[in-house]
Amino acid sequence: MPKIKFDGRTIAAFSAGLFLAVAWYTLSGAVLSGWPAEVFPVIGAVIIAALMSAFAVRKPATAIQHIGDVSLAQQLRLLKTHTMVNVVDTQNLLVEVNDLLLEATGYSRDELIGQPVSKLYANDGTSFADQIRAKLCSKEGWQGETLLRRRDGTICITQTTVTPLLDSDGKWIGSISARTDITKTVELIAERDIGLTLHELRDDVWIVDEKTETLKYMNRAAKNRFGWTPTSYTDITLTQMAQEHDCKAILDACAALKANKETFIKLEAHIFGTKFDVSTKWLHPNTPNGRFLIMLNDISDRMAEERKQADFISMVSHELRSPLTSIKGAMGLLLSRAAGELSPKAEGLLEIAHRNADRLVLIINDILDMEKISSGRLDFDIKEFDVSEMVKEAVRSNSAMQQRSGMNIRCVGVDAPHIVETDPNRIIQVLINLLSNATKFSKPGDTVEVMIESLASGVRVSVRDEGSGIPEKDQHKLFQRFADMTNSDRVAKGGTGLGLSICKAIVESLGGTIGFESREGEGATFMFTLPTRISDKVQEPVRPMLRSVG
Amino acid sequence: MIKLLHVEDDADIREIAKMALELSGEFEVVQCDCGEAALERVADFAPDVLLLDMMMPGMTGRQTLERMRENPALADVPAIFMTARAQNSELNELRSIGATEVISKPFDPMSLADQIKAAIS
Repeated sequence: MPKIKFDGRTIAAFSAGLFLAVAWYTLSGAVLSGWPAEVFPVIGAVIIAALMSAFAVRKPATAIQHIGDVSLAQQLRLLKTHTMVNVVDTQNLLVEVNDLLLEATGYSRDELIGQPVSKLYANDGTSFADQIRAKLCSKEGWQGETLLRRRDGTICITQTTVTPLLDSDGKWIGSISARTDITKTVELIAERDIGLTLHELRDDVWIVDEKTETLKYMNRAAKNRFGWTPTSYTDITLTQMAQEHDCKAILDACAALKANKETFIKLEAHIFGTKFDVSTKWLHPNTPNGRFLIMLNDISDRMAEERKQADFISMVSHELRSPLTSIKGAMGLLLSRAAGELSPKAEGLLEIAHRNADRLVLIINDILDMEKISSGRLDFDIKEFDVSEMVKEAVRSNSAMQQRSGMNIRCVGVDAPHIVETDPNRIIQVLINLLSNATKFSKPGDTVEVMIESLASGVRVSVRDEGSGIPEKDQHKLFQRFADMTNSDRVAKGGTGLGLSICKAIVESLGGTIGFESREGEGATFMFTLPTRISDKVQEPVRPMLRSVG
Repeated sequence: MIKLLHVEDDADIREIAKMALELSGEFEVVQCDCGEAALERVADFAPDVLLLDMMMPGMTGRQTLERMRENPALADVPAIFMTARAQNSELNELRSIGATEVISKPFDPMSLADQIKAAIS
């Protein structure tokens, strides 16, 4: 029996009912006669009173007075249109999925019903589904983020609530999951985080529109450089920037990317009065979203530090040369009998000292060369020269070492001239290094062959020995700095481990290539090529090429 | 005899160079330990060739040569530099200011006389 609420509407209904009942009883009693006058007024009055009472206590059919009055079906309908819903049985097999889930994942209902719910999960779906199932078994719910893998393989991030389904006896019979797609939200948060990170970077960051070449974004560091407000830079073109702010290198970098159809370029440039590493990345090339992402890293401090270090190495190495000049000179004079005859033992000992002074000079030279290569200060004296003459000069320089080791040198192709444009002293240095290595690794009686061959656009020079060869495991590091195989080997053979990396830097800087062929136990052949003309190649790229060494 | 003025701040190197050159029997060697002393010495020793160390405290070899070139009597005297810093750019620069030859340190004492003779011949 519903509770009657005595508000104005109820009282009015009761009053109207009473009035109508009395009116019926009076009028019908006056009009009728006989037994109907005894019966109908009473029956009519009772019926009228009952109807009006029923009207007074009934609830309006069209208005919801309490939210609790919304039916479960309505709530479910709402849930189903707003979120992805799926139901699984106790074996984690899907028994129901709603349209929104199908729409979001790209599967059809037939593809999912009866399948394990793990089919929907990205990564290790089975293990993840089992973890949730364990919670549900114990009649607990679960909430968290789940990664769903769509039918096309893409990922959909969802905020999920899973609730156990229990029968009337409280027995677990499955679970229902409601998921909200939060992929966009997560992406937006990630983008915002990246934006914040970019904004706080120490390096300057610019984003430039590919087509209009106008600035679309500058981080705090970039704006501070110009004292700009958050928006005052927008729509300034790179050309304007280049004209007004001494940063033509950035304009050139973007133009180079477009011209060469590349997506990344890195260069060193002197802009805004300081030295920068400029990295330019072309994002989404040739699309409406095409952008240049430009990062400027101030390297002036690093360069100054490198320069100080290089100057120190250079100074120390040069300072070592003065005493070495005296040591070598004095021993050279003694050995030439400038101070009188020597006993055989004294001569032998002096030769050892003299030879090792020579080694020390070579080591200092290697260190100096490496320092020049690292700092991009290795310079060249380019002239036209005969490679045959260079080979002969290198063989002459190596003759003392060759005689000591008891090996032979055979030169092939040196009778004809091979004129190339190069730095002869540097190439002789390369040849002496290769010959010296070949000699070191040769046994008495072995022959080292130096061969010059003409190529279509230059020459190839090879130095072949009959030594022990280079183990395969060591071949990849041969041209790296300090690449001699082991410390003990280096001591035994008297190398700094810098020689081949210096050769590589020299040859490549002069527009050539260098390489080797070797099998362990079968000797080694080192060869390098030189172009006939190198002027164009050597002008600018020397430093980048050298920096890639070792 | 070739009259050679050697300017070098390192006494040991001076001694070795002098011994090596005199051993050849073709050089009369006068030595100074700095550029200033060399500028004074040339007043009474008219050298046929100058052998100058590059790096010296006070006047460098280059500055010494530039000052000597101001004297018309020394304007055409061949000048040979000795240097431990033998960068190509530096060598070219030395040649541009009138260096006939540049000898790298450490030098070979037994071929020093021949190198100098070849440079001035």
